[in-house]
Parts: sequence; C-alpha cells; structure tokens
Amino acid sequence: MLDAPPPLQKPLRPPDDVMRLARMGSMFPTRLSFLRSLMRRLAAENVTVTRPVWNMDADGFGHAVYSLRLGGYDYSLVAVSTDLPPEMRTDRVIATAWDTAYVLYDGIPDADEVARIAAAAPKQEAARFTERDLILSRANKSVRLFAHVTQAMRDGQQPNPDMIRDVGYLMRTTAVYGNGKFGIADRDVIDARPGLEGPFAAEMLAVWLIRHFTHELAEHVGRGTLDAATKRHLGIGNSTGLGMAPFLVNHPVLLNNWMLVRETALARVRAVEALDAAQKTRLSDLADRAAQHLQEWNVPDPVHQARIVALRADWEIARELLAAEALGGVDPLDTVMKAAATHSCDVQELMVALIIEPFGDLVDGLADCMGDPSGGFCPPLDSTTAIQTEIKTRFAWALTPDYDAPDGCGQFWYVSEAKQEPRLGLRFDEPGAELESPLDIGRRIKALHTALNGVDTPLSNFLADHPEHGLAVSRVQLGARYPYAEIRDNLIATSCLPIDMLRCKLSFFGASKFDPKSDRWTRITLCQGAPLADDLGTNPDDWWLPVWAT
Amino acid sequence: MTRSANEVMVLAGKAARGAGAPPAQASEFGRAAVRHIHAGRDPSDISRALEAVPNGPIMDFPIAFARVFERGGDTPCGQVDASTWLPLAESYADALPYAVQVDVVGEVLNITVDLQCPAAKAHLGRLTLPDALFDQMTTFAARILVPESDASRLAGAGAGLTDND
Repeated sequence: MLDAPPPLQKPLRPPDDVMRLARMGSMFPTRLSFLRSLMRRLAAENVTVTRPVWNMDADGFGHAVYSLRLGGYDYSLVAVSTDLPPEMRTDRVIATAWDTAYVLYDGIPDADEVARIAAAAPKQEAARFTERDLILSRANKSVRLFAHVTQAMRDGQQPNPDMIRDVGYLMRTTAVYGNGKFGIADRDVIDARPGLEGPFAAEMLAVWLIRHFTHELAEHVGRGTLDAATKRHLGIGNSTGLGMAPFLVNHPVLLNNWMLVRETALARVRAVEALDAAQKTRLSDLADRAAQHLQEWNVPDPVHQARIVALRADWEIARELLAAEALGGVDPLDTVMKAAATHSCDVQELMVALIIEPFGDLVDGLADCMGDPSGGFCPPLDSTTAIQTEIKTRFAWALTPDYDAPDGCGQFWYVSEAKQEPRLGLRFDEPGAELESPLDIGRRIKALHTALNGVDTPLSNFLADHPEHGLAVSRVQLGARYPYAEIRDNLIATSCLPIDMLRCKLSFFGASKFDPKSDRWTRITLCQGAPLADDLGTNPDDWWLPVWAT
Repeated sequence: MTRSANEVMVLAGKAARGAGAPPAQASEFGRAAVRHIHAGRDPSDISRALEAVPNGPIMDFPIAFARVFERGGDTPCGQVDASTWLPLAESYADALPYAVQVDVVGEVLNITVDLQCPAAKAHLGRLTLPDALFDQMTTFAARILVPESDASRLAGAGAGLTDND
C-alpha cells in the first residue's frame, strides 16, 4: 500500500522575503508553536498532574513538587519559593537571586533529591546540577498583580478583571536553561522520548508547570480559589534578552527547519481550493479574536504602543479579506495572502498565523519536522568555483551591504566576562570589538566572495591558505539544503534590532503580548489561555491569541 | 565532578577560539574534543592541541579531512597523516557529520566517508575532565570574553532599571 501523498501546496514564500529582520520581528505564534504542540500532546495522552509535595509556609515560602507521566516517562517540577527583598528583584541576567527557582526533574525525586534541588536551584548559575535535572529556571513575581490577587482572595473576592487582562501573569521567568547548562542533562538524554522530541519541548513543559505552580501559590497565600477563567488567562510571563538572539545564528539548521515548516504550512493552506461554511465562519471568528487581542495588547513603550495602535487600524481593513463573501472564490486563502501583501509586515504575519489556525489536519504533522536530528548534514562542496556559484546563487543578500561604512558595522556582538552572556556593543564607542563574536555572517560571506575572486582551486587548498574563511564556507555549504538557515540582513549594522530576532524565536515558543523594554530585551506572555492541568481534556487547542473573556 | 557533553563541547570550542583558532575550526575542535573525552583517549592531546595553535591539529585536521572529501564520489576514501596526533584524528573522524569507516595503520588514519549518509547519533553521557585541562580550557576561553564596564552592564544586555512592577 502506498503512503498518502502530501497535501497540495502553493510555492513557498522565498527566503529573500521571509528571512528579513523586519518580517521576523513581526511574527505571531501559530498552532505549530512549541507550546501548542505540547498541549496537544499532553491532551492526547490524558496527562494528569499530581502534587506529591507541598511544603509551604503561610506566606508562600518553601517548596513543592508536581509530577506527571508523558510518553512512558515520569517528570517532576521541583519549585522553590524564597523571600526576596525588593531591592534584589531584577529580571535581568545580571540578577543573583529570584522569588522562585525550578528544576524539571527526570522521574519522581525522593526526599534527598528534593532537598538537593531545594538547596541548589535558588543559586541557579552558581550551583551545579545533575543529569536527572532536565531544565533549570527561575521566576520573579509580578509584585503588583501577585499582591492584588492574593489580597482579593483574602477579602473573599476574585481579583480585578482589568488587572488580570492588563498584566496577564503572576510571575515572569527570567531564564529557562536546557541542554547541559551548569551540569543539567544534555538534550540527547530526552530528544528521542515521546512528547519531548520536539525543539524546546522540555522547556515548554517546565514553563507550563511553572504557570500551574504560580496559580496554586497565589491561592495558597490568598487562602482562596481563583475561578477557572481567571486562571486560564493567567499565563506565565518571561523576560528575554540578548542571550536568545545568537541562538538563531548559531543554529542555522534549526532556524531553517522552523521557518520551512511554518512556510510549508502556509503554502498548504494557500492551496485549499474552496472553503466550506464552517471554515469561513471559523476564519471570521478568528479575525474577531485577533482584533480583540490587539485591543488588549498594550505596552508602556510609546514607540511599540504606536506600532500596536497602527496594527489595530490596519487589521480593521485587512480583516475584510476574511469576510465570508470574500472567501468564495478558488484558492481563497491564496487570494487573501496576495491581497494582504499590500499591507504592513505586521498585518501579513498576523494573517499568516490566522489562516493556518483552522487547518490542523493539514499542518499539525509538520511539527514533527522542526527538530534537527542530523546536525546540519549536507554533502560538502569541493572547489572554490562551486562556492562562488553558491554565493552568487543564494547569498546576494550578503554581498549588498557596505560593511566598511560606519553604519554598516556600527555594532558588534560579544560575550561579557561577568556572566558569559551575549551582549551587543557600539563598535566606535565601546571597547571589546577585537573580541567580537562571529555573528557577522553576511560580512564574512562577502569577504569570502572577495577572496575567491579569480581563484580556482580545491577548497582545501584555499582554506589552508585562508583559514579565516572557514565559517563562511561552512555557511555557504548549508545554503542549498537549508534555504531558510540565514537571517538575510546585516546583523552588525547600526540599524540591526535584536528585538526582531527575539520575537521570531519567541513566536515559535508560542509567545504573545510582546512588551519590548528596549531594542534588546522584551517581556512576553506564555501559556496565556492555555489549558489548565485539570482541563486538558476539554478543547485544549483553541487558545491562539488569547483574549480575556469575563 | 561530571559535566554534560554540551558543556565540554562548548568549553573546548571557546578555548580553541581563545587560543587563536578561527570560529569554524574552533567549533570542529569542540566536537572532536568531546568525542575524545568520551572515548577515553588521552586528555593531554586536547591540551597539546590548544597549545599548538596557530599550528597543529586544530588548524590542520579540518583541511586533511576536506582533502579526503574532495577525492570524489559519494564514498571517498583517503588517508590522514596524523603523526603524534593519531588519537585526536580518530576523535575528529568520530565527530564528522557523515558515516565513516576508520582503519589505523601506523601513524596514518585510513578513512572512508559516506557523504550521503549522516553519522549515527551518539549519546555521550556524563564526562569527567581532569582539573588541569578544565582550568587550561577555561583560561583560554576567557580570552574571548569582554570585561564589563558600567556602560556595557547597563546597555549591552538590554537595560531594565525598574523591575518591581
């Protein structure tokens, strides 16, 4: 019996359009985002969360353990809550203490293991961990909302719905570490396990359990019970800085696979020949939800708030493309995307995420292709001529910028001595450019292109004479097999905004409510609207762009 | 103390960069070093290789293996003359992204590479580094770190001065 053919699809959007910072910085979460995939998996397995340990004092300080079984394996979140003086509370990576700390544990920890983690987790990077510790994280309270919610419950009331809507989380994680950091387990310990094989699946599981803990901690301190709708809208915040940005450059195959899957999903829904009445209604409902979500998305920064306000106005126009009468022709969603091309990147990317949403049967299986099981496998090119041809064919974007101009190289990426975290400096104002991290892929490829002018020799001969071009050669070699592997912009230009890279990656996690605090770090909300532990069995998959429904 | 394989690989790669190797060669060395430790080969090979930059196997082995790839066909075969670096050459072979067959003859590594077949994935488990090697790699790796100033502390990581909201 032959396998079923893959669904029809329209052509993919070209990498030259997709892999631009401005577009990547406009992305929204989709049903292929890692949290969505994880929730579907948890629901499919009827996962039950238990709480075998709850050792908290009346003020909510102590530790707790939550356990679940997924794909035949037990996992536990060990949560530690400590009394943090306000002056020590900072979301930044330079912090040394946090309100809460967490380890996602491989199995169910005994008392000795709980004690070990309770002692080590609050120290975070300053401690050492074991292979049983899969994920390490920490979170700070949203002091304003946590205090209000707990006080409201003490007063026998539910919290103010406006505050729930406006803040949306009780705590913010400020780091979620995986893959061997500080001695925790390497990713290959879990990457073949059912349910955790996808990218960042263990991290997302930890985040979802942390959100569950924040609800129960607030109820414990408030000596009351939050209603389910309130809890469902209370996600888990996150503060993300520059540490996330180099990941996309240093993992080109993963970036390719994420983007390729997303673009393939779009291409498949664009090939849907006709929509039935239910699908039209669903699309219209989602357009309404998107409009409400945009209304509820407010941030303090005036520049980004202005961008949201503009998007609201643009969306009111663009959503007409999803009116039932506009969806009656052939290839209706292809028509929608062609018409949306006249709108801003923000509108276009919102539309992409929206039109994918109703078509889980067409696209959800693609989520299985978002990992990197082969580690960047591609046959090598063997000559300088072959490299030149590849550069001319696929890397024109790298050859265009003038990297010698002050604005073309005004920034440099580096790793700070203090916490060994990635940072970004101004090349002509700050010291350290001589220790620049190699994230200047475009500049390197242009330099390679220049060095290859008139050279026709085996590649090994060239690299023996010019070893400094090794990185550029390796990236060019990836180009044919991984067309979405490179961010096609100058990442050291004065105009480069790391926040665009952060938003791209975070949208794949499933983040919404981006709240940029500068060009270099942002707050977001994860799991808002996601199923609670006790309602995984009831429609666990309809929480794209959550809105607050009182 | 045991370490994760990723910790060892990343540290070795940073150490190679700190020793003066270009980024691609440093990354290849990181992948080879973790295989070297995992295989129980002599850790002093790693130390010697770092000391040998800008010469030595960190710079030479990527070229030597590339010359094998260039011999043509989907399954090229060739020799890597490893001299006193033979165990480290085996570690480089282990770390290739392709399926390989290796045969050691004297100081020469005979290698056949299947360029159409990815290498089998290996679980490297927990690793133990000798303290002296860890210290040496940490010292080399520190050479690529930029000392912090007040300005970079506030601006470089993305400043947020009020977090109690």
